[in-house]
Amino acid sequence: MTLDAKIPGGPVAEKWDRHRFELKLVNPANKRKFTVIVVGSGLAGGSAAASLAELGYDVKCFCIQDSPRRAHSIAAQGGINAAKNYPNDGDSIWRLFYDTVKGGDFRAREANVYRLAQVSNNIIDQCVAQGIPFARDYGGLLANRSFGGAQVSRTFYARGQTGQQLLLGCYSALSRQIGLGKVAMFTRREMLELVVVNDRARGIITRNLINGDIESHAADAVVLATGGYGNVFFLSTNAMGSNVTAAYRAHKKGAFFGNPCFTQIHPTCIPVHGTYQSKLTLMSESLRNDGRVWVPKNPGDKRPPHQIPESERNYYLEEKYPSFGNLVPRDVASRNAKEQCDHGKGVGDTGLAVYLDFADAIKRDGHDVIAKKYGNLFQMYAKITADNPYETPMMIYPAVHYTMGGLWVDYNLMSTVDGLFVLGEANFSDHGANRLGASALMQGLADGYFVLPYTIGGYLAGITPAQVGTGHQAFKDATQATKERIHKLLTINGNRTVDDIHRELGLIMWDYCGMGRKDDGLKLARTKIQALREEFWENVNVPGSDKDLNQSLERAGRVADFLEFGELMVVDALHRRESCGGHFNEAFQTEENEALRDDANFCYVAAWQYQDTDKDPVLHKEPLNFENVELTQRSYK
Amino acid sequence: MNWVTSTFGSSIGKKVLMAVTGLAFCGFLAAHLAGNLTIYGGKDAFNAYAEKLHALGPVLTAAELGLLLFALIHILTGLTLFYQNFKSRPVRYKVNKRAGGRTLGSGTMPYTGLLLLCFVVFHLLNFSFVDKTGTTIFAIVSKAFANPLYVLVYIFAMIVAAVHVSHGFWSAFQTIGASHPKYMPLVKGIGLVFSLIIGIGFGFLPIYISFIA
Amino acid sequence: MSKSINLTLKVWRQKGPGVKGRLETYHAGNISTDMSFLEMIDVINEQLTKDGKEPIAFDHDCREGICGTCGCVVNGRAHGPEAGTTLCQLHMRHFDDGDTVVVEPWRSRAFKVIKDLIVDRSAFDKLIQAGGFVSVNTGGAQDANAILIPAEVAEEAMDAAQCIGCGACVASCPNASAMLFVGAKVSQLALLPQGKPEAAKRVNTMVRTMDALGFGNCTNERECEAECPKEISITHIARMNREFLKAGLTAGEK
Repeated sequence: MTLDAKIPGGPVAEKWDRHRFELKLVNPANKRKFTVIVVGSGLAGGSAAASLAELGYDVKCFCIQDSPRRAHSIAAQGGINAAKNYPNDGDSIWRLFYDTVKGGDFRAREANVYRLAQVSNNIIDQCVAQGIPFARDYGGLLANRSFGGAQVSRTFYARGQTGQQLLLGCYSALSRQIGLGKVAMFTRREMLELVVVNDRARGIITRNLINGDIESHAADAVVLATGGYGNVFFLSTNAMGSNVTAAYRAHKKGAFFGNPCFTQIHPTCIPVHGTYQSKLTLMSESLRNDGRVWVPKNPGDKRPPHQIPESERNYYLEEKYPSFGNLVPRDVASRNAKEQCDHGKGVGDTGLAVYLDFADAIKRDGHDVIAKKYGNLFQMYAKITADNPYETPMMIYPAVHYTMGGLWVDYNLMSTVDGLFVLGEANFSDHGANRLGASALMQGLADGYFVLPYTIGGYLAGITPAQVGTGHQAFKDATQATKERIHKLLTINGNRTVDDIHRELGLIMWDYCGMGRKDDGLKLARTKIQALREEFWENVNVPGSDKDLNQSLERAGRVADFLEFGELMVVDALHRRESCGGHFNEAFQTEENEALRDDANFCYVAAWQYQDTDKDPVLHKEPLNFENVELTQRSYK
Repeated sequence: MNWVTSTFGSSIGKKVLMAVTGLAFCGFLAAHLAGNLTIYGGKDAFNAYAEKLHALGPVLTAAELGLLLFALIHILTGLTLFYQNFKSRPVRYKVNKRAGGRTLGSGTMPYTGLLLLCFVVFHLLNFSFVDKTGTTIFAIVSKAFANPLYVLVYIFAMIVAAVHVSHGFWSAFQTIGASHPKYMPLVKGIGLVFSLIIGIGFGFLPIYISFIA
Repeated sequence: MSKSINLTLKVWRQKGPGVKGRLETYHAGNISTDMSFLEMIDVINEQLTKDGKEPIAFDHDCREGICGTCGCVVNGRAHGPEAGTTLCQLHMRHFDDGDTVVVEPWRSRAFKVIKDLIVDRSAFDKLIQAGGFVSVNTGGAQDANAILIPAEVAEEAMDAAQCIGCGACVASCPNASAMLFVGAKVSQLALLPQGKPEAAKRVNTMVRTMDALGFGNCTNERECEAECPKEISITHIARMNREFLKAGLTAGEK
């Protein structure tokens, strides 16, 4: 099978306009005859559900949380990029496009990224119209700040809660459509199967998380916006409920998985401090605007930070990358932090932390200015660590944060299963091998507000509505399979808890498929995951019943999928004989320890086809052609 | 009249009724206290004030009817709110603790209100609906406060009134939306001072009459 | 510095909606003071699972204080004893060795218990659906900088917009009133020019919906403001009151 990305012809700047014209349209009167299922209510899912309903489609939206307002997009802190060029500092759609392709280490699809940069401006307009209180200058105009990987200020923000405000904007648009009866909202529902009939996505099977009912929902198209899979590492900055299940179930039904090994390790997180820890907390990248990263020059220097004189501090990012300094992209910052700690220069009890110091910024701008910019982040840090970052430097360490990999989609955001669309972090996305800060919010909203509403019409215009109902045998089979799986989980009655096994999986992934990867480690990880998976299905203990709210059962189902998916990540990491962005194989690095790409052999998207749990997945390649950006070694010096 | 019922029948509307009538009672209390202060001027001053007041005739009757109407609104709306608020939490907490918002006044509004209602009835029976032929108001008052029990009841009632007003005054401003970060501390301060004036001003009168005058 | 403490926990256990529940006692031993409150419950749940018992059901998701999913009443205080903190951000260093900790779900007629500490907060969604939005379809917006909003106004709107919809205001209000939640949304959109065209309609429908959902009435007890993890001020309630009166007295013909 050849992967056709369906990229429109013509110059990159004209592709999207041209495509929108060429897409078939659904007559306004016919739109209500089409039912679209949207799974997930974050920035991508919520914006898609609202926009599709506004257009007149009959929309059913599902989320696992108790309300669509709680999706993990809400936790994004720093901001959202757009090429508005309001600060007059040389930004443009071209520059945002270029920065994103380069930031992604040249492993993203040019046409998609250009479109993303194009619609970025519409997103800001839309969000402001919704009443999102973005930060403003005293004249009443929108304020901007800088983020990693860019030398312009193009990031719009609402204090340190930009994700929250954008999500609440999108939730308000969705709520309006629910109130109007245009969207049927199903909360506390988990998608457990994708129903495919004659190679087309026709619906989903869900579990009602309150009473355990297994429900069938039919539709003319299914949209997955179910987020990333960072929780395969157990400890990540993702929400506790974030999971790969919906995407992985779709993968098993024929949707190819793109670049699963591309994971982003965010450099500024609060370090791990105990074995009981359940999750990691991110400190926004925006802190690197004013904070200076340093470690002691001498390995093993355990003096408290204020006793270490300037001359014995190593501001390693500023020294190594004079032009970007502390604002290098995330993958670069993370790898450098790991490198310092590997050399024994790490600080704190565990030695797995570096300092992020605001003393100079406070001296320069005053306490109040810093408090205004980062007050809530400082407060959050103080709450968790009981340290006051106004007085003593923060301690930070990289943590799993975002996954660039995801279900493979074409230019229309449709997966390899017809009628199955994938948006936001759940798709393999526009970020290549590394995502730049403030670009996730941009992509989620671009997909949901401004891309899918056009492209899904092109698909629906070509099919007859409501051809398959929930009475179809495929729904019955999928329901049966779901029930059997749940029954199996509840009757193993072993000795290990779900969390215990998940934690072990996470450690395997972090040690062997984390920031620095090695061939033999990856190979070892694969056998360890297989063994752990076997143990899970023989020795897991899931208490409670399937007839009511059972959080252990929910987690068990998700961990079962992580145990298969983790292996796919390792397989992908092993196959990619190069380093790029978030995938760093230590065998492939430059003399300066930067990721060394192999453009001749690996300039492609790896899209994996599922065979069977015990069979190797099949690799398909979508070659990446760069017509507008020259492939170079990334340099932030 | 749809908008009237829908506005004042809502939770906020009912609170506005409480606020407006409550503020009116604050005004009444201020006027009443000002009148009563004539007691310090001696027997004649006080009797003269009472006479002047009664000479107002229909105006006084109208004011009294107005007060009665406001009282009915305040009491009935208050009881409705009390009942609704009680019903809004069918299962109570095992452990209750304040977070720092609630005050003695705010936490006891329905109870202090009901106590005040009882007191007002008692007060009217004592001083308003009595046979005033052949006697003066000062004589009636002096006679009543010769009984120490009366003095205690009145002092207690005035403490209750002060507690009620301590929350009611600023709360009324908040409810009608007359709130501004610049002025709210002042409103709260005035409310506190006002409640003290009411409590001490009225509360000292029975003491003065029975022990000093 | 981190240390270990031992606690006695009394946790509300309830099989399902409408079923009778009760406080069960658990021993939480060797709890690191660096743990969050929810991590402490994780530890108990792991032990319960190992003992073949059903773990305590509790809502939680982001564990960084922003999603608004978590929340219980701890020793009579919504989200526990610390001000401006969600339960997931409450750390065990605020408890002492030997403490008895009573954990109850949010209590309100409008929030029914689903199981143990989990309540149904869909009433909040219904409130937003009633009018907590600006009616703008995707695509029709003008340039973002065409609307000038003074920085102070944007900041004040942001103060209100921070609401995480956790329900602590309702839980802590002696009357189980939702005025701070509704007030925050009404106030945010009333402050901003984008929200003004629909201001009267919004405040009317949201207040009516709030009354219909069974929340209590506001008596200005200020417990909500004191417990709100985002420290949203009751001046937003006052603004809603003002907006509501303005809408009732001036808007429309009837």
